[in-house]
This record gives sequence, structure tokens and C-alpha cells, in this order.
Amino acid sequence: MTSTRRLPNYLRAHRKRMGLTQKDVAFVLGYISGTKISRHERYLREPCLRTALAYAALFQVPARELFAGIHEQVAAEVEKRARLLAAQMTERRKGPASRSCSPDDL
Amino acid sequence: MKVSWEGRVLAVDPMSRAFGFVVLETPESLVDWGVRQTRTDKQQATLAKVSEIVNLYRPDVVVVEDCLHESSRRRERIRILVEAIVRLGAEIAVDVRRIPRSVMVLAFADAGAPTKHGIARALAERFPEVARHLPPIRKPWMAEDDRFAIFDALALAVAFVDRGAHSD
Repeated sequence: MTSTRRLPNYLRAHRKRMGLTQKDVAFVLGYISGTKISRHERYLREPCLRTALAYAALFQVPARELFAGIHEQVAAEVEKRARLLAAQMTERRKGPASRSCSPDDL
Repeated sequence: MKVSWEGRVLAVDPMSRAFGFVVLETPESLVDWGVRQTRTDKQQATLAKVSEIVNLYRPDVVVVEDCLHESSRRRERIRILVEAIVRLGAEIAVDVRRIPRSVMVLAFADAGAPTKHGIARALAERFPEVARHLPPIRKPWMAEDDRFAIFDALALAVAFVDRGAHSD
């Protein structure tokens, strides 16, 4: 039995829970047709920030929950780079004596 | 010892011209549900649409009725279709589990829900998001409502998840 990573988003689940069609959601979000909604639901396109926030407002669910899989992925990437940055900052604090100088130090 | 299932479950219930499906992420969390029509070239259409759903949700397991079990009342065409789904699972490397109908019914016996409609009602209470799909009680002259396929699929998924009930 595996632990399952979250899906990129749960837009379809929330839309269906509210009993809305893709066309209904498109109307509320200001789109002409449900095509973009379909693409978002099928993970073919990520919505822009405004649209992501609009979804959150419509479904009354925080964006990080609505886009749980994307949030997990982004958080993991950020954590990895943050650790790298922390290691680099530790090196910088040790001072130039403990390492060779590079143009970036200036 | 019963071990609770952890993972995403796709349950599929074929009917004569459609199939019902549900995707459960946790025992209480429905991710998707619905009925897909397969009016022409039914077997190929069903397999293509099931494959689409598997690609979208990447379930850890696909659950179907065990049509080889003595308690199964399915017609031959549906039995063949279910076996085709099992083979599809093997081809695309997804675990497929079968639930005998008798086990599924037993899973709901505690809720006092021995009939198909009774099981559907019990599921609608547990998962309010599907309540709007609950068909009326079937009369003898009525054909089975396609929407029952959602509840049959959900019953399979719940029986699998709740009781760890599965056979290979």
C-alpha cells in the first residue's frame, strides 16, 4: 500500500460538490466558455494567480488546499533551495579566511 | 487483523450502456464521481474512458466487482467487460482488486441496507455530494437508472476501503 501524493488540484471535486457545471464556473470566473475550466480540471494548464484566488473565493476553500499537489511540489522545491541558501549563508559568515575569494564576494 | 487501505481508489461499475465510477482519496473524501455513456462500441469505449480516468487520477488501485464469484448476478457481456478492465489494469501496471457482491452487501448490512436503493441511500448520507444523484425507488416496469452505477461503484470502493475486503 502506497502513500499517495496529492493531486495537482481538486477543482473538479469542489465544483461537483457545489452542483455546478464547468460553464457555471466559467461564468463566475469571467470566461466565455468552460474550456479553460476543463483544462484546469484535467491538469493541462495551471491557472494564473488571479484565477486561482477566484476559484478559492468561489469554493470557499483556501488556495493551498485547492491546489494541494502544486503546493506540495512548490513547498518541497522551496525547502530544498532554502537549505542551500542557509548553507551558503553559513559559509559567508565564516569569512574569506576560511575559503578562497571569488568575484561574487565583492 | 484488518488493515485500513491508504491510497487513492478508483472503483468502476459497468452497466449495459454506461459505467459508473468514483475516485476516493481517503475513506471520507470523494475526488470525482460520475457516469460515462458508452452507447457505441461499448467495450472499447469503456476501456478507453477507464484508461483516461486512470491517467488523470493515477489511482493506487482499481476496484471492480468479482464477477467470477458465485454471488455475482452479472450478465455475460458485463463479466467479459470487467475481465477486460482487469487486463487493462495489468497492461498499464495498476493494481486491480475484485470485490464479491456478497462482501459488498455485507459491508452495508450493519446499516440495515440490504437493497440496492437502501445501499445507495446509506451512501448518500455518508457522501452528501452524491445525494443529488440518488434515483427514485425503481418500480417493476422501470429500467435501471444509469445513476445507480455511481452508487454501485461507490459501494465497491467503500467495501474495499472500510473492510480491507479484497480478493485477488
